[in-house]
Order: sequence, then C-alpha cells, then structure tokens
Amino acid sequence: MDFSLNDDQRDWQMKARKFAKEEIRPISLVRDAIADPRETFDWEVFKKGSKLGFRTMAVPREWGGQGTDFVTQALVMTELAKADSAISKSFSQCWKWSHLIAASCTEEQKERFLKPFLADDTFVLGKGISEHSAGSDNRLPPPDDPRAGLKLRAERRGDEWILNGEKAYIANGNIGKLFFIDARTDPNAPLKQGTTMFLVPRDTPGFRSGKVYNKSGWRFYQNGEMIFENARVPHANVVGEVNGAVKKSGGAGGDTTGGDLFGDLELAANALGICDDACEVALRHARSGKQGGRILFEQQLVQLKLNRMHMLTEALRSFVMRIAWEHDRRIHSPNAGLAMNFSTDVVQEVTELYMEVRGGAGCAMDAHADKLVRDSFIWSHLAGDTVQRLKVAGRLPG
Amino acid sequence: MFNLHLSSEQLEIRDTVRDFVAREVKPVALAPERLEAFDKPLLAKLLDQASQLGLRTLALSEAAGGAGADSLTACIVTEELAVGDPDIAAVLAHTAMLGGLFERLMTPLQRERFLPQFLGDDGFHLAFAEREPGSETALGVNYHRASAIEPGIGTVAERRGAEWFIHGKKHCVANAPLARLFAVQVATSNGISTALVPRDTGGLSVRPQEGRWFHGTCGEVVFENCRVPAENILGVEGQSPFAGDAAKGRGAPLMQALNLGIGRAAYEAALDYSRLRVQGGRPIVQHQAIGAKLAGIAIKLEVARAAIWRAAWASDHPDAVADRSLPDLPLQTIAEVYTAEAMLEAVKDAAECFGAMGVMRDMPLQKYVHDARVCLHSGDGVSDARLRLAEALAGFRRPAAAPARATA
Repeated sequence: MDFSLNDDQRDWQMKARKFAKEEIRPISLVRDAIADPRETFDWEVFKKGSKLGFRTMAVPREWGGQGTDFVTQALVMTELAKADSAISKSFSQCWKWSHLIAASCTEEQKERFLKPFLADDTFVLGKGISEHSAGSDNRLPPPDDPRAGLKLRAERRGDEWILNGEKAYIANGNIGKLFFIDARTDPNAPLKQGTTMFLVPRDTPGFRSGKVYNKSGWRFYQNGEMIFENARVPHANVVGEVNGAVKKSGGAGGDTTGGDLFGDLELAANALGICDDACEVALRHARSGKQGGRILFEQQLVQLKLNRMHMLTEALRSFVMRIAWEHDRRIHSPNAGLAMNFSTDVVQEVTELYMEVRGGAGCAMDAHADKLVRDSFIWSHLAGDTVQRLKVAGRLPG
Repeated sequence: MFNLHLSSEQLEIRDTVRDFVAREVKPVALAPERLEAFDKPLLAKLLDQASQLGLRTLALSEAAGGAGADSLTACIVTEELAVGDPDIAAVLAHTAMLGGLFERLMTPLQRERFLPQFLGDDGFHLAFAEREPGSETALGVNYHRASAIEPGIGTVAERRGAEWFIHGKKHCVANAPLARLFAVQVATSNGISTALVPRDTGGLSVRPQEGRWFHGTCGEVVFENCRVPAENILGVEGQSPFAGDAAKGRGAPLMQALNLGIGRAAYEAALDYSRLRVQGGRPIVQHQAIGAKLAGIAIKLEVARAAIWRAAWASDHPDAVADRSLPDLPLQTIAEVYTAEAMLEAVKDAAECFGAMGVMRDMPLQKYVHDARVCLHSGDGVSDARLRLAEALAGFRRPAAAPARATA
C-alpha cells in the first residue's frame, strides 16, 4: 500500500495550486456577487487555464491531450475548487465529456470534434439530458412507467435527424460549442432502449439557447435552457448505436470508469476542495480572531468544530483518492457513487461549521462563508438527493 | 391541569392573519425581486395593511386601544406572518412587542405623550437601540468564569438642567429605518438607563445598515448632542428595565416563531409540490424517500412549535415556575437552539424535494434556506446559547456587571 504521488501527479497538483491561488481566488467572490447570471462567467480566466492544460487534460495523449490519470484529475479538481468550486467545475465539465468522446466516438468523429476542441481555448463541452419534466426519471427510470424520462424527440429524415423539444438546466448550455444530446428515438420503448445520443454543435440549424439559470450557488458555472425546433443533425453525429445512448454513457461494457462514473468522482473531488478551503480559513480565523480579548482557538467549542471539519475533510480525501486509484486500475465498484453521496454530507456539514466559526458580525455575514454554504447546497440535488443514493444502492454487488 | 386549548380570540386572530397572508402577502412576497437574498425592498404597503388589522399594536392593552395580546398570541401571529414574509413578520413583531413593553413601563405622562401618536399612525414603528459597534455580547471565553461581561454601553446621556444630552452610536438596530420612537440604552452617571428618543429629535440620524444578515429592516443610529426632556427616561434612571433581560433567555420567543414560519413555508411548498410532481411513475409524495423526508420535516415543525409555545406561555405566566408547573430553565433559549437547528435541516430537506428548482433564485426554496440560515447564525449563535443554558443548568451566577464605561 502506497499513498505517495508520482512526480507527474505532484507537478499537476502544484501547477493547479499556483493557478488557483493567483488567478482564480482573486476573482471568486467578485464573480459570485454579479447579479446577472449571464455575466458571471469569465473567459479570461478560462482561457488562461486552458493554455495551462486545465481544459483538455483528460484527453488521451495520442489525441493531443495531456492524458492525465484519474488521480491527477482528482488532485487538480480539488486544488481548483479550493479557490472556487464553480470555476473548477467549469473546467472539469470538459473532461467529463472528453472522456466520453475518447470512449464512445468513432475515429471519424474524434477527427471532426476532438481536434477543434483541442485547438480552441474557448471550446467548451456540454451534455443535455435533463428536461423540465424529466430529471429523476432519467437517473432512475421507473420500471413500471416505460414512457417516463426525457421527451426530446429525434426523427430520421434521410441522412439527418430532426430534433424537437427542450433541455433544461444544462451545464454550459449557453456557452458550449459542442453538446452530447440525448433524444428519444423510439418513443414507445423504455428510456434505456429508445434513446440515442447525438453530437450537436452550437451552430446546428434549429438549435438555440434559452434562459440562463440564476442559481443561488455555483454562480460562475453556467446552466442554460436548450431549445430544439426542427434542429437538423447529420446521421454521422450519432454516438454509438441508434437507441443505444444510455448504454454508452452508462458505461456498460468497455471502459466502465468513463462518462457517468467520472461525474461521481468529479463531484466528490470538487467538494473536497471546498472543504479544504473552509478548513484552512476557519483555522486561520480561529488562531487570529479574538473574543473577550483572547484568541478564538482557546475555546473548546471552537476546537471541537475545527476537529470535526478536519476529520470529515480527511475522511473524504481518503475516499476520493481511493476511487481515483480504483478508476485508474479500471476497478468497477459502487464506491465512486458512495463517495459522491458522502461528499454531499461532508461538504454541507463542513461549510455550515465554517459559517459557525466565522460567526455573524452584527448584521453582516462573511461573504466567503456565505458563498461556500451556497455552493455546497448545489450537492443536494446533484450528488446527495435520495435518487442519487437509491441509484448507488442499485449498484451494490450481490 | 395541562391545557393546550387556544382561546377563541387566539383562533380567530390566527385565521385572520393566515387569510391575510394567503390573500395579500404571498402573491407579492414571492415575486422574483423579493427572492434575491441581499436586495429585497421592504413591503411597506403590506405593513400598513397589517397595521390596519391591529397587528402593529397587538400587545397594547385593550384599554389603551390595542388587542391586549399575550406572548403566546404574538408568537402565533408572528409564525403566520413569517410563512408569508419574514421581513414583515420581523418588523411587526418588534413594534408589537415593544409597544406592549413601553405601555407597561411608561409613566401616565409618557403614555399620554406617545401612545396616541403610536396608535394613530400605521407607519409608526418602534425600535430598541442597544447594540454598539465593537460591543461583545457573546459569553464565549467567559463561560462559567467569574469575570463579568462588559456591558459595552458607550452611548452616554448627560443631564443638563431639564434635558438629557445623548451622544453615541448604535448599530444593528432592528426597525431603525422605520421607527418613529426609539428606546435607547444609555450610560448615565448612576448606571444604565433607557431613554425614549423620538425620530425627529435634532441630532438623531439613521443610516442604512452594512450587511444584510437579518430579517426585517435594520440601521445604524447616531446621536450627536441629541436633546430629550428629562422625563423621557423609561423606568427608573440608572436601572434600565431592559438591562440583562436578553441574557436571561426567558422572554417571548418571537424570533423563534418567525424561524418556525420560515420552516412551515418551505414545508407547505414541498408538500404541495410532492403531490403534483410526477417522477418515477407517480407523484413523488408516494415514494418512501420523499414521504419520509416530509414526515421528518413535520416532526421538526411540531416539536419546535411545542417548545416555542411553552416558552411563550412561560413568559406569560411567571408564577408557573414558583408553583412548580414549569422547570426553572431559560425555556426561550431551549426553543431558540432547537428551532434554529431543526429549521435549517427542514428547509434543506424541503428544497431537495424540488431538485434543481431548489437552488434557483427565481424560486422561493433557496430563499427559505437562506432565511433559515440567517436565523441560525444570527446574534451570538447557537453554540453560545448552549453555553448560556449550561450556566443556568449548573446554577452558575455571574457577579454583577461592572458599571457602564464612559466614552472618551
């Protein structure tokens, strides 16, 4: 058993730490405070990060990416999230789907889509699954309601597919250049047998962005509506087989650690960064802040809070690094999902404790503490809701 | 005798307020611009309407023209209002509670001077100015130690002839931007006194409060050679009727009732939505995972209400400790800690029922989470409240507070 990092992993970690400290941290609270959700994204920091490899690091070396392993990806996500969780997610959202391109696209599709992705610092990826009436139903399709789940319709016309419908809450929906869109290609079949995944570039005729969601947390991170009105997508953009989308992204067969499973590691590693941030600032505050003329750290209740924050954070770190290690060895287990669920409990408790340690100063609350609890609350519907827990329970062996 | 029947007056006022909230408050309070956590305009018109229902003068005696409501009734009203809008609930709770206290503490002459104005004007609100910038109220390091807690009153009232000259600064004064009459904690030569200062007194100015971590409205109040007549002292000079009251944890748990109302608003929204939203082949309330969550929220609401009503009843019946009906404990503090922690858990669970909609700023759920968090992390916090309770449990008695410090 060996917990040490190799030189390459350590280099990426240090590079991410430096970028996070120098470029992300200074803009984090500023971007969070912008009222208009369309204005919170900052292309400058994104381009700088892209030039350092933080946009493309999950793309295999043979395709011109950095080919980092999952341990490195977890380390980088954590470091970036320590400075701003939403900015870290904006980068890793691109890795999530570059895993998918590498795992599921044909050589011809990689040529058409992976190359421009690698060449353009503003090329952002996204994936459209959720719809207003289909959220949990996509994650956990009910066995007794075969029609449940996404409704966006795709119909074949010659060499093209005609897409009609709407996607909701889609990450990078308003800024992405390329999307993986799940559409119903057999409306009479259950979700798993009737859905096809399409590569949809931004300039697809008949596709446009709708509203940008105004979220209470993760304000930098863009989520948008996507509207398809007779949108025309070439048949050559079908990913995998027709009526086979869920199978591809669900990871049955082939590389079981890509796609969805990366998403589990991603949320857990990102949560860890928030926890690291909260622990560090809380400890610094407790050692310098005073009450009654004495430093806060002298108080037992403050020490107990700091103890719990660090205990939970280190437990999460052990879990995150273990699943990254398992992914690198292509070990299939429910652990990534469990770690994602666990990260919800940890990040929310740690940030609430952080807010307690900061305390209210009269009628104001520390803006950083307020941001961290709002960012952490995002986990409630992404990573730790009962549907995500039930889904992981379904992956338990035996 | 254990009796939880509400009086017909209490039931009637609850129905009236609930109806007002449903018809008048909710349609306005849930407008998108109200859902932004840090920039929400106060609903002034609704405050006037609430005043016309008698909610502003709720605790004033019937003889004086009020409703003569006790603490329990005030808690019932505050909970109902907070279901609609915690800001309206906070403003009215402060004014109503202070109105009742002022009436009891005022001299007949003071009542004659101030109460007719208070009764006659829907916009006449009251404020209690105690806290000062830099003052420390937390027990913290002084837990169970003999060291006295510095009262931290730097606002001074100097007697010159038939007048008091007040000089100093208060902050985080609830209702300050609306108040027409302030009760101000001041240091006088013989201790801490409470001075009644009308808003239009020369030398008094109100500034917007920095930060937005409160319910209702708050402000800084500055006194620069502010002159009030000698007879404006409330109660006995040098023995403020408010000194130390807050620390005792035995007052009317109005802010806890407000906190409960926030939890109930989230619960009602989640229950309604869970019956409508179909996922997994049926309305989500029919799934065990959501059903158990809603049940857990309902349990928290009922337990919190029981604790709040008991504390309210205790503050209405000070003899109930002596006759051994109630334990000799700061029941308000107990209600405060339980409610603040349980409501944050409850509103987070309620928001989770909404999926991604639970974090959207144009939806109310994220606001309920924020509002409950403001309650949990306001004042000195629940950790400090636990320390105060622990001192009471151990029977610890702190030596008398040091005399008020004078300003430089």
